[in-house]
Amino acid sequence: MTSGKPIVLGVLALQGAFREHIAYFNCILDSNPDEYSNFDISIIEVKTKEQLEKCDSLVIPGGESSSISYISERTQLLPHLYDFIANEQKKTWGTCAGLIFLSKEIQNGIENQKCLGGLNIQVNRNAFGRQLNSFEIDLDFSKFIKGCDKFPTVFIRAPVVTKILDGNCNAVEKGIIKSENTYHNSAPTEILYELKNYNNSNNDLIVAVKQGHILGTSFHPELSDNYSFHKWFLDDFVLKSCK
Amino acid sequence: MSDFKVKTGLAQMLKGGVIMDVVNSDQAKIAERAGACSVMALERIPAEMRKSNQVCRMSDPKMIKEIMENVRIPVMAKVRIGHIVESQILEALGVDYIDESEVLTPADTKYHIEKSKFKVPFVCGAKNLGEALRRINEGAAMIRCKGEAGTGDVSSAVDHIRTIKKDIENAQKLKGEKEIVELAESYRIPIDLLIQVIELGRLPVVMFAAGGVATPADAALLMQLGCDGVFVGSGIFKSQNPEKLAKAIVNATTHYNDPVKLLEYSTDLGDLMGGIAINSIKEDEKLEKRGW
Repeated sequence: MTSGKPIVLGVLALQGAFREHIAYFNCILDSNPDEYSNFDISIIEVKTKEQLEKCDSLVIPGGESSSISYISERTQLLPHLYDFIANEQKKTWGTCAGLIFLSKEIQNGIENQKCLGGLNIQVNRNAFGRQLNSFEIDLDFSKFIKGCDKFPTVFIRAPVVTKILDGNCNAVEKGIIKSENTYHNSAPTEILYELKNYNNSNNDLIVAVKQGHILGTSFHPELSDNYSFHKWFLDDFVLKSCK
Repeated sequence: MSDFKVKTGLAQMLKGGVIMDVVNSDQAKIAERAGACSVMALERIPAEMRKSNQVCRMSDPKMIKEIMENVRIPVMAKVRIGHIVESQILEALGVDYIDESEVLTPADTKYHIEKSKFKVPFVCGAKNLGEALRRINEGAAMIRCKGEAGTGDVSSAVDHIRTIKKDIENAQKLKGEKEIVELAESYRIPIDLLIQVIELGRLPVVMFAAGGVATPADAALLMQLGCDGVFVGSGIFKSQNPEKLAKAIVNATTHYNDPVKLLEYSTDLGDLMGGIAINSIKEDEKLEKRGW
């Protein structure tokens, strides 16, 4: 047992692969007890506002972005999520559906689907197409994660970032869902990774972004059988301000 | 194996969610707006098939395609047990998951589909551990139980989930390699697969509940028993207020452990599916007997 500073990392557990994220973080803590002995870290499921209030950081898992949005709205969690991501002390990471949920604008979304507006980006839901176009590929993340030069990423009916948005653009656009959150993230939007020439396309597809306290990835590190990505989020986001 | 990870990966993303049977685009949109994580496109819901006494086959690709074009969530469709060609057709259509289903009339009385040969992932039914592992060994990337479809009676789904769990517990109690080899042989599966289950303490793929789910409480019951998510067939669109019931079942699947919330979701839903009690169905007419 550790007796360090208590830190609560929540995983949004409305729908999707939340147990995978929890298992990865617990595996990091169990495998590196000495490294984290100064902290008292707990990983919890977040389904209610009471659970969310306990959290210092939050992970929004993969799943169906519309399911997660509708359930959060109907169970009155949505306004609390708006507030949570607006608090720049709280670190947040979204994978796949989580990336869509964290964005400011959604292309190809469903009527009344909501997004939290924490990342100044536009995302395209199911950008690669249907399940038959889902794929696995090794990517080099060593530019931002030390030694992580061959990370197995899995893209499942994944979204991509189609636009980095500048400034506040609330004008109505046909077919684009815009966040109703009034928060505006003023940190610069950093592109962490672009998929080059995928499937012989000439476009570079943005699949990982960071903006201040918020991280978003199109792919699923929680399916990679490798916890380096989770450890990076834990060390460089969740614990950085505490160290 | 990496191909298998992409197949099981989608099932992992469906966890904690509800997959709803729909027969047209309007129903599919209602399901999507209710928060379903996927829809199962089929021409007739199981309650109708059960009454018809006709041969039930893969649905017309035209209606499946229409649904695929009208919703953004993943679309599944059913093929008959052993019907390789129906599967090839649905793969060509591009559905996101295929259900090799006992609800349709089996096309092969001896063999299930060799699912590892397909790029599209498959979900299959099972009522015990041996059946689940035979399907996984053939390449199924997701398992569901075989609760009696179209009845609105959840008891056989409960029975199957309990049986699978019990079978896993019993396998974990086996002493020594000989007993493990014997059980794997009786299950007709490779020993490695059984050892994997013993180590994990659960199936190596996602397991959903299916068959007879008609209320938010049914969905929550199966979640409490350890399912990863729920299929709902006839229950929703056979009820008086499908939209409200669909939302309530989705909410109940998320908050399955919260009685106060379940009370709210279970209240004032109007007339639910009448259904038929499973013990009133003749043994040889039970769908769970199909598949082996």
